[in-house]
Amino acid sequence: MAKQKCVAMLLAGGKGSRLKELTESLAKPAVPFGGKYRIIDFPLSNCVNSGIHTVGVLTQYQPLVLNSYIGIGSAWDLDRKNGGVTVLPPYSESSEVKWYSGTASAIYQNLNYIKQYDPEYVLILSGDHIYKMNYDTMLDYHVEKQADVTISVIEVPWDEASRFGIMNTDDEYNVTRFDEKPEKPESNLASMGIYIFKWSVLRKYLEMDESNPDSSNDFGKDVIPAMLADELKLMAYPFKGYWKDVGTVKSLWEANMDLLDDEQDLNLFEHSWRIYSVNPNQPPQIIGMQAKVKHSLVNEGCVIDGSIEQSVMFQGVEVEEDTIIKECVVMPNARIGRGSFLERAIVMSDLEVPENTVIRNNSNDILLITESFLAEFAEQQTRVEEA
Amino acid sequence: MKKSMLGVIDATMLPGEMGELAAHRSPAAIPFAGRYRLIDFVLSNMVNSDIQSVAIFPRSPYRSLMDHLGSGKDWDLNRKRDGLFFFPAPAKEGQFSRLAEHLDYFNRSDQKYVLLSNCTTIANMDFAPALDRFINEKCDILEIVHKGESAHIYLLSLGLLLDLIKNRNETGYQSVQNVVEDSSSSLTKCQYEFEGFLKRIKSVGDYYQTSMQLLEKDKWSELFNEFQPIYTKVKDEPPTNYLAGSYVTNAMIANGCIIEGEVNHSIVFRAVTVGKNSTVKNSIVMQKSKIGQNCILEHVILDKDVSIEDGAVLRGTPDNPLVIKKGSVERAVANS
Repeated sequence: MAKQKCVAMLLAGGKGSRLKELTESLAKPAVPFGGKYRIIDFPLSNCVNSGIHTVGVLTQYQPLVLNSYIGIGSAWDLDRKNGGVTVLPPYSESSEVKWYSGTASAIYQNLNYIKQYDPEYVLILSGDHIYKMNYDTMLDYHVEKQADVTISVIEVPWDEASRFGIMNTDDEYNVTRFDEKPEKPESNLASMGIYIFKWSVLRKYLEMDESNPDSSNDFGKDVIPAMLADELKLMAYPFKGYWKDVGTVKSLWEANMDLLDDEQDLNLFEHSWRIYSVNPNQPPQIIGMQAKVKHSLVNEGCVIDGSIEQSVMFQGVEVEEDTIIKECVVMPNARIGRGSFLERAIVMSDLEVPENTVIRNNSNDILLITESFLAEFAEQQTRVEEA
Repeated sequence: MKKSMLGVIDATMLPGEMGELAAHRSPAAIPFAGRYRLIDFVLSNMVNSDIQSVAIFPRSPYRSLMDHLGSGKDWDLNRKRDGLFFFPAPAKEGQFSRLAEHLDYFNRSDQKYVLLSNCTTIANMDFAPALDRFINEKCDILEIVHKGESAHIYLLSLGLLLDLIKNRNETGYQSVQNVVEDSSSSLTKCQYEFEGFLKRIKSVGDYYQTSMQLLEKDKWSELFNEFQPIYTKVKDEPPTNYLAGSYVTNAMIANGCIIEGEVNHSIVFRAVTVGKNSTVKNSIVMQKSKIGQNCILEHVILDKDVSIEDGAVLRGTPDNPLVIKKGSVERAVANS
């Protein structure tokens, strides 16, 4: 294998259980986003756009959809003779199958993958966030500061800081302490889960971490604190721009709605930083005679005959006549029958919503419309009618 | 069925009445139906009929056609064996003379039959039933027809095609069409009637009428279905963004557009912008064209990369749509 300056390792094994049925049969990084994409398209596209062409994707939970989606990486131009994308599932060693017990152990078990490229730097990413970022600029910063580790951070509102891993730094962004979800945060710089390590340092600390039986094998909880204790040079890299963890049904919905907000700086139309994805190859969208489409994102293959407002429609969605859809995210190939009304909801992929389904939502929550939701809803309606 | 047919696409059609649309590109590469090129239909039909070796004979200028087809990957034709072949032919007249330049391809192929097509027929067609008829009825040449008219798509055995090419000087036949149209020929000629939607695009008028027909749902669904998809070169455009003031009805719209104005009974290709208070009616807007604010477009075909500046008014008629050529800039002029 030819030497690579920087190898990226993308942690994509997460379950994302707070996404409920959305992650019942697929891993969180495979969750659809933005009318066309899956979450993992963002870090993968960032890699390619940053000139990083060697990416290991670590999968574990429900990997079928993710594996077949990534394929040989051609959608992201990562089908390369040298490097490219490699899916790295857990494997068995002699008699024992080693599941990835934490983020650090997942990388540890794939040290051989990294070794073959003999890199100077290793970039650790997660497949959980929506953002556009130039990792090459971060790498320049890491080299310039002669850091052992650089951790990308973003300023979060103070009242939300206790939900994040918080980096305490001095005025020059030297990391002094790491607090995982602190009750009383002393800084509002949240770790974005993006690390650049000197390869030699990473290797040493992962081997140490693995031999420590008390470790939970997590970068944030174990590896970073151990490095701080040894007084290594840890730098925070302040990132400005759009970044969102889409870990809950509500935050996933919000991130989709953000795409409709002109004030947000997540621009999917930017030609110099395209987000690539596997193209579904469907015909252009058809907007019918009685359709009204306002303030929405609509992907190819949609057939819209009803009204949609402030919504995100994935490929192949059908909306029949006299149906109104407001502030919804409709996942691929769902079909909304005529005379229906849906608001503030996420509609699951391939779902058939029967005619005249009127679901109002005055609550703060976002509904996740699934087959079982519809069954329960229909039952409720019958009970109301009977009474 | 598998590997039994070769596909040959004769893309040497002259621009003729395609006018400005074919000024800088082969008619095969004219953008169509929001995200396709004319050749995508015949080519996808071949692939969907299990044809795994396709030879395309283009005529210069073919840069945009080559750029579109690339390695054939988007049609699954980037194969180790067989796949997509591109045979630019010298400017010779006569189909057989042009095919003769690349006899090696035919000699080396082990397929038994050849499906020979023109490059601008729009249809979604499975060729397998035609091949069944060809074999069962022991035809020498089978012609695909639609409503009694030739679709200029033919099926014959590779052996017969090679004989016709070799003996072209003696027989005087210069194309398969010549053979089919010669009533004195002793060959067994059959016809296969294709019942679905089929149009052969030969002029700007055909192009405009056929495009507009796709806005009728029944026609559209005869051309596009999930089982026999039409493949094309893939672009990574985001979904189309309809801004707050947009008003769109009865339109076919590709990805990557930003629409702030009104679009009615029109086809809009990918990455087009339609500015505030502008109206696009009964028109076709090809990829990456930009329409400013307060513009009116009616019965217009905008080729690629056209820029319509604020306040411009462009009108054609249903029988004579106004074609604006690739890359031009249209300003607001009185009486334009």
